[in-house]
Amino acid sequence: MEKGEIFGYLGPNGAGKTTTLRILLGLLSAASGSATVLGADLAKDDATRSRVGVLMENNGLYDQLTARENLVYYARLYEVSRPLDRVTDLLEFVGLTGREKDLVGNFSTGMKRKLGIARALLHRPEILFLDEPTSGLDPEAQHMVRELILRLSQAESMTVFLNSHNLDEVQRTCSRVAILHQGRIRALDSVRHLTSAGRKTGFSVTLADPGQAGKAMDILSSLEGIDEVARNENVLGIMLVSVPPHEIVAALVGNGILVEEARIQKRSLEEIYLDVMRQAEGGVA
Amino acid sequence: MSRITVVAEKEVRQLFKSRNVMLSALIFVVVFGIFTIPAALGGMGEAGNAMDTLGFYLVLTLGIFMGYLFTAQVFLREKQSGVIETLLCTPLSLRELWSGKVAGVTIPATLLTYFSAALITGTATIFTGETLLPSLPVLFHIIIVVPAFIAATSGLIGFTQFMLGMRENQILNFGIIFGIIFLITFVRELAGPGFSVTWGVVAATGGLALLIILATTWLTRFLSRERIMVTLPE
Repeated sequence: MEKGEIFGYLGPNGAGKTTTLRILLGLLSAASGSATVLGADLAKDDATRSRVGVLMENNGLYDQLTARENLVYYARLYEVSRPLDRVTDLLEFVGLTGREKDLVGNFSTGMKRKLGIARALLHRPEILFLDEPTSGLDPEAQHMVRELILRLSQAESMTVFLNSHNLDEVQRTCSRVAILHQGRIRALDSVRHLTSAGRKTGFSVTLADPGQAGKAMDILSSLEGIDEVARNENVLGIMLVSVPPHEIVAALVGNGILVEEARIQKRSLEEIYLDVMRQAEGGVA
Repeated sequence: MSRITVVAEKEVRQLFKSRNVMLSALIFVVVFGIFTIPAALGGMGEAGNAMDTLGFYLVLTLGIFMGYLFTAQVFLREKQSGVIETLLCTPLSLRELWSGKVAGVTIPATLLTYFSAALITGTATIFTGETLLPSLPVLFHIIIVVPAFIAATSGLIGFTQFMLGMRENQILNFGIIFGIIFLITFVRELAGPGFSVTWGVVAATGGLALLIILATTWLTRFLSRERIMVTLPE
């Protein structure tokens, strides 16, 4: 992972996302190989653990304690300097000012998640591990958590490892993703590259003259590197495999076809994810 | 402030906020501190000696039970709720975590045990009509040895609760409850009218506590984050 990036770790339930996270955090040992975070094995290195922030699904909070008591406890465990000031700042950061004396047991799921994020940030970690941070939250709270993650990455250059099966969330927040299936990484790339220049690129061409559609289809059929061509009136949908889009336009224009508009169709992360899953199910790595 | 103190302080605070647990503990203390005393004194011969015997075994048993009651809250509850996973990601070492929790159990359990000793003394005094105070060895036993025993048994129970899965822990809990009942019965039989609490008996009890503490401290080297994780409930 690069410093300051938000790395999405995608996969269906049971793919091994949380297990990977636990291995990285030194909570479980790998069946083979090794895992290091910030150059250290967290199972053995107590000091490096203080440079890592973690938000697991249960938030790590005590229901019988107040929000402030929870944060002060963790701040002292991490030996945060001036813990009370830090706690006050973070409560404000996550929008829980005024609720610090309330018992966490009386908090909603969203409030607990906000407090969990504040807890994970107490010691100003260099890298933050988030396990399904928006799971069980309403859309407003999900938006708030995503905004928080982006702010942390942009304003504090914090590296974030985001475990999720929420494709929309990953596409909105992550710069790079790995897609996991049955314990193996099936795709690993930047979101931009995956969505715009994957194995197949969607490309649409709008013809100025619908009467030229038949001829255009014939030209495209004769070209190599095209997987699929579909026509909808004067719009041709083309799935490219190995030919760059500008060559398509050049071929059409060179044969007298009047092209009104040409556009690369970005694929959503969901399409890519499903594609990867299908390939994995079919045994293609 | 050391991390052990931080953990201990949090556990004490949390226990005192757990009303159900504190209420159960208080009921247990009151029932044993008041209602069993008349019957117990009746079968133990001379009142002063009987008071010493009660101060020796009943206070010890109550202390162990308090420790057991609180251990479930302090060790097991974090496993059940999953909070332990977050704690294992902090810079806390497992030895610090265990030690802090043992201290966090021992402090409130000791306070309640002192209260039970005062209650037993008061009840016995009222029941016999004469001021009954424990002898010096028994006083030493109550003030020093009983807390050590609470720490020893809580540490051992807490260690096994960390090491075992939830089902095994349920079986263990039954075993402990029956063990405490057996202990009360056994010591009561042993402490008949001829039994007197001497410095030697108190020293042997304290030695046993120390032995358990040392053995459990040594055993904690076998604790691992992975062991705790794989015994968490699904």
